Amino acid sequence: MKFNIIILALAVLAFACKPMIDVPAPSAGTANFTTYVSLGNSLTSGYADGDLFRSGQLNSYPSMLATQFNFVGRAGDFKQPLMVDETGFGNRVKFTGMVAGVPTIVPYGAANPANFASIASAGPYYNMGVPGAKSYHLPAVGYGNPANGAGNYNPYFARFAVNPATSSILSDALALHPTFYSLWIGNNDVLLYAIDGGNGGADAITSLATFTASVTATVTALKAAGAKGVMANIPDISSLPFFNTVPYNPLYITDATQLAQLNAAYGNGALGISFTSGYNRLVIADPLAPMGMRQIKSTELVLLSLPTDSLKLKGWGTIKPVPAKYILDESELASIRTATTNFNASLATIATANNVPMIDMNAKLIQMKAGMVISGMKFNTSFISGGLFSLDGIHLTPRGYAIVANYFIDGINSFYNSTVPRVEISGFPGIVFP
Amino acid sequence: MQKRITSILALLFLAGNVLAGGPQVSLHGQKQIGMGLIGTSLSLDASSAFYNPGALAFLNQKTYISFGISPLRSFAVYRTTQPSVYEARTNNPIGTPFYLYASTQLTKKLTIALAVNTPYGNSLKWDKNWAGRYEIQDLSLECITMQPTLSYKVNDWLGIGAGFVYAYGKVVLNKALPLGGTNGDGTLGIKGTTNTTGYNVGIKIKPTSKLEFGIDYRSKLSMTLKNATADFVVPASMSTSFPAGNTVNATLPLAANLDFGGSYWVDSKLMVGFSLNYVMWNVYDSLKFDFKTNTSQLPNVHSPREYKSQMIYRIGGQYILNNKITLRAGTYYDPSPCNPNYFTPETPSLNNTAFSCGLSYSPVKKVSIDLSFLYIQGTQKNLTFTPDNFSGTYKTRFYIPGIGVSINL
Repeated sequence: MKFNIIILALAVLAFACKPMIDVPAPSAGTANFTTYVSLGNSLTSGYADGDLFRSGQLNSYPSMLATQFNFVGRAGDFKQPLMVDETGFGNRVKFTGMVAGVPTIVPYGAANPANFASIASAGPYYNMGVPGAKSYHLPAVGYGNPANGAGNYNPYFARFAVNPATSSILSDALALHPTFYSLWIGNNDVLLYAIDGGNGGADAITSLATFTASVTATVTALKAAGAKGVMANIPDISSLPFFNTVPYNPLYITDATQLAQLNAAYGNGALGISFTSGYNRLVIADPLAPMGMRQIKSTELVLLSLPTDSLKLKGWGTIKPVPAKYILDESELASIRTATTNFNASLATIATANNVPMIDMNAKLIQMKAGMVISGMKFNTSFISGGLFSLDGIHLTPRGYAIVANYFIDGINSFYNSTVPRVEISGFPGIVFP
Repeated sequence: MQKRITSILALLFLAGNVLAGGPQVSLHGQKQIGMGLIGTSLSLDASSAFYNPGALAFLNQKTYISFGISPLRSFAVYRTTQPSVYEARTNNPIGTPFYLYASTQLTKKLTIALAVNTPYGNSLKWDKNWAGRYEIQDLSLECITMQPTLSYKVNDWLGIGAGFVYAYGKVVLNKALPLGGTNGDGTLGIKGTTNTTGYNVGIKIKPTSKLEFGIDYRSKLSMTLKNATADFVVPASMSTSFPAGNTVNATLPLAANLDFGGSYWVDSKLMVGFSLNYVMWNVYDSLKFDFKTNTSQLPNVHSPREYKSQMIYRIGGQYILNNKITLRAGTYYDPSPCNPNYFTPETPSLNNTAFSCGLSYSPVKKVSIDLSFLYIQGTQKNLTFTPDNFSGTYKTRFYIPGIGVSINL
């Protein structure tokens, strides 16, 4: 029964062999990923749902990039300045239910005081993303120095600035001797102005000269230190749910008596304000309009920060004007667009001059507006249902950050002839429905 | 006795889950498997009831019984489109296609037979959390057919035959929904049974004592699930969009086969043959799930498949070593019926190349123990399911030992 034995042996052998996919090993190309440092703002830190918290940081795009860079020569731990827990600084929100298709979003809970403590001694930290940082904060000495007094330093950077009095984000980054960096900065130079409804003050749009000088200083310093890198530009605010979720005409009124009363209150058209049966435009505060109020134009934006229950409970938008801090009017939008365009042009020039690839996040997010399917997951820029943006409407979900990580990887691979493996997006959570 | 028959039948139903080129499995006789699955022109035993009812009439003993089983081990590996390091593997249960054939001559010219076997099947299990979970997590398609058959020997060189096919099918499908909650992804589970009928007709021509030809046509089987359970598990805030107690209708057409084969006895010991199997997978245009209750979040799903009909090329042969031992070998090429733009991991059917060998041993006259081993390799290829933008590189392997017994009386 020799043949029987042979067949049996074949069978046993065969049952043990599993197929292996033949693919080339990942390669670093012309880049050197040994020491990777990420610089940027909240988007880089892993901020989501209105705050910086531990699981968000673990799902930051720099953390994902570092994991992928491990396959092409990155060495050591990619230490991030992790919060102690999930509460962050107490600004986090959570999603608790749906009422008539509208998500209920409430505060997550009070901050754990331990989250404010300095953890600099446990460093160094390779994710240097600092929530709130603008372009000119990167080289700003003392940006994380509590001795400057409340409002004059960044409490996020204060947690891990190596030497609060003398550290800048840039100097701490350079001290790590990066061989590769990512730099996504500039959003806040215009975004904070927009989030505040264009009120200006501390969050005025950065001047183009300051912006260009700050980014140039950062990029040239990193280049001089021998690091190669990758940069990303600034998405237009119109791609963000924070600015395009609440409609300009949310007031649905059909009751004839109510309409007549409202119209009478506004002098039956004397102020240019009128209400008709159906969806009506909000009345907003505008110091330049007669009586300091007018109806919003269809081209103007209502912010997600608008407390929508005030529309019903306090008569905002009907009997009282919506305060200007919840509205971006045409002239504010024009300033924002001009600044975004100028900043992105400046970033492109700096990137080209320093031989750094630029990821066009602005264009990517505009594409995302139309929707995109990835491995059976549908994404777009809608609030909650779009899956890309977290509960604050500005920062991303872990899946959104994973998509951003892949945009970085694609740009790096094409510029440096590398084959950094892409991130598996489905491995990260999207919006978590209650 | 009654009890024994019932328990045997129950075992058979449990056993009927399997996988191969498309959801078609061709493991219907250990002798044929050993020769690269040629069989259309051959009259070896009662398995002709399946391979070609026309060939049954050429069996020269009165009664034949054969039965067997082929424990099938299948592996698929998936890797995300390059550059990537993400890899996933199936952990498929061992499939157990089986067959049971019996034939007897009523007269010198007329033979009746019954064939029970598993011509289609798919048993696939990916990890619950794998990257393609929104396409499929696991799928089990079982199809068992029963075919009463008549064969008539017109004259010394011509036989014709026909069988009526009754098919029982069972489908269980689980997939994840990209709707995450605190307990992870939502899920959809579909479970249902169905039955249908078809036919199998064949002709065998034996122009000389050494040369045989056969042609056989097996009709398609339209497995239509009606009111199959569709269980959605979703986060509470989305539950109104995915109502409980929903059902679904779906149709999975199983391809018709047109087979042509020839075989030549070089001498009294050596036979060589070929078979061309044209599998008409073009019937599988799309997979449609029509839910009883639709919502804005739950529309009916018409998912394109656009399968192509394909020709499978097989050659094989056998050598009668002595009156106790017969050796067999064969090979075939089975191109994928899947459309490369609509390739889903629910049926990862690649271009398959297969090699087989086999052996029959007769411990006593009229009884033969038939062994076979079939190895199938699916060629590595990068493929995409375009509607979901799900792409990656796939590779498959099948290891199928088989054992059967044939008896003639």
